[in-house]
Amino acid sequence: MRKSLFYDFFKQHNAVFENRYEIEVPKQVSDEQSEYNLIRNTLGITDTSHMQCFCFPEEKGLNFLDSLVAGNVAKIRFGRILHTFMANKDGDVIADCYIANNDEEFILLCESIINDNEFLPFLLENGASDSDYVDYSNDYGIIGIDGYKAWTVVKELFGTDVLGLPYLSCEKYNFESEKIILFRAGKTSEFGYYLIVPKSISQKLIEQCYDIAQKNKGGLCGVEIHNALRLEGRFFNIYKEGAIVKDPLVLGLQWMIDFSKDNFCGRDAIFAKRNSGLKSKIIGIKTKDASCKLNINAPIYYNNKKVANVVASCFSYLLNAYVGLAVFPIELAFSGLEFNLDSENGNIIQTISMPPIMPKSLSVKLDEL
Amino acid sequence: MSTNSNEIIKRRKEVIDTFKKELITRLNLPYTPEDLHEDVALLGAGLGLDSLDALEIVLCIENCFGAKVPDNNISVLRSINTVIDFVLEQKAGKEKNS
Repeated sequence: MRKSLFYDFFKQHNAVFENRYEIEVPKQVSDEQSEYNLIRNTLGITDTSHMQCFCFPEEKGLNFLDSLVAGNVAKIRFGRILHTFMANKDGDVIADCYIANNDEEFILLCESIINDNEFLPFLLENGASDSDYVDYSNDYGIIGIDGYKAWTVVKELFGTDVLGLPYLSCEKYNFESEKIILFRAGKTSEFGYYLIVPKSISQKLIEQCYDIAQKNKGGLCGVEIHNALRLEGRFFNIYKEGAIVKDPLVLGLQWMIDFSKDNFCGRDAIFAKRNSGLKSKIIGIKTKDASCKLNINAPIYYNNKKVANVVASCFSYLLNAYVGLAVFPIELAFSGLEFNLDSENGNIIQTISMPPIMPKSLSVKLDEL
Repeated sequence: MSTNSNEIIKRRKEVIDTFKKELITRLNLPYTPEDLHEDVALLGAGLGLDSLDALEIVLCIENCFGAKVPDNNISVLRSINTVIDFVLEQKAGKEKNS
């Protein structure tokens, strides 16, 4: 099992770890609500080294990546990031990907639901051997900085210019004479950054990030709280609804696909499904009663008939209710309807428009600070 | 399906269909209406539209549905569904007042 470069640091801070597709990652550092509040109100530092990271030289990388992922890699402007997915030959989503066009190279940063030791073989099966790739996964650590005040950390580390970076952009910075790659991205609805950090400076940087976070009343988080934050912000979560549903069209990921591309892995299967028409769709749900829990796989009834299953859920501290996602038949996949949970006469749940919350970060304009 | 649910779906579907078609035409999006999930983010993530596109969407909402988006209301343009909710709320308000 792969261990993150930040394992010992998080262990010292009493983190509990989990095995995420053969990578040991800090699951939780304090209690759920404290970690939630850190990110919604200040900032949280998370070890996101479970993400696979590869670097490709520009020309070979472009050809390989474009033949692999659903989005159009050729259209990524310099300094920008494409958010797309990787599918297998059956058209099922297997990785949620950021691809950055960064100074004559492409950086691939992925969250995948195939085991870590099977990820590189999958790339090689699909033509990576000719791409001159460099696998960063073992020699780099990835720090996630998320929250309403996340920008305070990167500003102190790299200067005020970093505030001018738009969402889905990347830049390189120096730290102790080493290069750090910064992704302005994230899936919490608050400000978010990933720092891709070489081993030689990883300990010093995580300690410095933590010090700055503490000065701003922030702290450390595990990866688990991100499931709730993503769901509230209606960001795709490959580890939750993605791992259950897998079909990118049912998941509503059409926006990640360039339908004009002639070739990418899983294209034929995805196009066949698209041509036969969408029969079900994932949509948001919410309990009426805060004590009514939404369990994964719980059945949803309509007119005494089972019509859907819960595929993702979390307790929303902002809404004081459980929110979730469920796959409904297309004729019922509308916001504003009422259903019964668990049985024909079970608790009432409603289908809702997503995202259901308004994050504080949306009211801040970083370039005006 | 209950009459109430049928009405909710009918009203919502009508606005969704119109809005998606207008969005695709006005912004020249490379998608069919079926490709656009109603929860997809309009700005930044998701469709990745910019501030000029946002202006076009505001005009579209005004022209197609007669609903004026307040200048400071950034929550309306978060997804297709949040736009639809806003349009339906405005319509319901008008029906109540008339």
